[in-house]
Amino acid sequence: MKNLIFDAGPLINFSMNGILPILKKLKKEFKGDFLITKEVYHEIIEHPQKIKRFALGALQLKELFDEGIIKYAELTAQQVDELRKKRNQILDISNSLYRAKGRNIHILDKGEAAAMALSLVLKEPTALVIDERTARMLAENPDNLRKILQRKLKTNVTAKTSNYKEFKYFKVIRSTELIYLAHKKKLIELKDPRAYEAMLYGLKYKGCSISEHEVEQLKRL
Amino acid sequence: MEEREHVLTILKNVESTLKRKNYTKIKSLSNQIIHNASIHQDPDIISTAVIIYSLSKLLEQEVYKENRSWDNFYNQYIQHLKKAVQLLKKDDIAEFRQEIDLIRKLIQGLSGKLKDYIKDVFRKARINKASKIYEHGISMEKTARILGVSLWELAEYSGKTKVADINLAVTMPLGKRIKLAEEIFG
Repeated sequence: MKNLIFDAGPLINFSMNGILPILKKLKKEFKGDFLITKEVYHEIIEHPQKIKRFALGALQLKELFDEGIIKYAELTAQQVDELRKKRNQILDISNSLYRAKGRNIHILDKGEAAAMALSLVLKEPTALVIDERTARMLAENPDNLRKILQRKLKTNVTAKTSNYKEFKYFKVIRSTELIYLAHKKKLIELKDPRAYEAMLYGLKYKGCSISEHEVEQLKRL
Repeated sequence: MEEREHVLTILKNVESTLKRKNYTKIKSLSNQIIHNASIHQDPDIISTAVIIYSLSKLLEQEVYKENRSWDNFYNQYIQHLKKAVQLLKKDDIAEFRQEIDLIRKLIQGLSGKLKDYIKDVFRKARINKASKIYEHGISMEKTARILGVSLWELAEYSGKTKVADINLAVTMPLGKRIKLAEEIFG
């Protein structure tokens, strides 16, 4: 059994691009669960239902949740407790990792931290599906994130580099890699040969942090 | 308020720039505040940045200036801004906060198309500032929370920026990430 843990971003992105049916098909191919946390449920279903512009997308995601395509992890009371502790630890470590002007820079919120924590609590192999840039960079190259902070904030940013290792266990894929898999598995129903490329760009322009160069690479694979 | 002096300098600059009608400069001044807001995440600094950016956007659009309520709205906006500068000089943060809030509430006294337009400018200003903070390296969810915008709006807006296209943001060779995706699906 394997798990994919979704952050809010990729689900919002699939919904805004009108390609949630592809997620359903991918789920059928996947020998495991598509998991979300309570924090993500709030961001993708509860909160946007109250915003006219996004209510439809939220309802479509709710249907996916009601059908069990995306679901909460089945955790024991002990694991729930562990999840909360690990989420708070991740928040503490990440939000004191970088400093500028004598202050810690708070970079993560509880939703992203909870998704990361869940992947630590579960015993089975897991990957995180994250579209936003900061959490992905934290896992894969925290020093590049420090450099971005320093460049953009126009001030010296220091890091507790001994804590970089705390994030190296997280494996991250994005919504674009899911569409790549759907393309390879011939799960995309649109017959037009440009559909795959259009989906990759659609995901990029709705918040997936993938560079144009990477999209072009994905197109050729 | 953190960085009071810096915010004060920016606000004074806004006042003098307004006299020169250099609206682009006003926009860039709001971005200067955002550098600090990303570190301190102080709601007062963020509100100030939103107010300044909104002002620059409002002044860019000529057509609404013909509306009969415009002059009154604009004069009150500037009066509150001037008063806010004076209060910040005195380090009276509570009153400063109230003045900034009064600018936001000026919309309530408006009606019709002008009200809708200005409301939209304020909303878009929040999303623009959120996108800037995300660009600085703060996570999308954290940024959405700080600015009080929805993740949906922020994802949509920031997707159109170049935030993912800088070299530093490419943290794993694509082939390796594809392999990871294939393995988990394998």
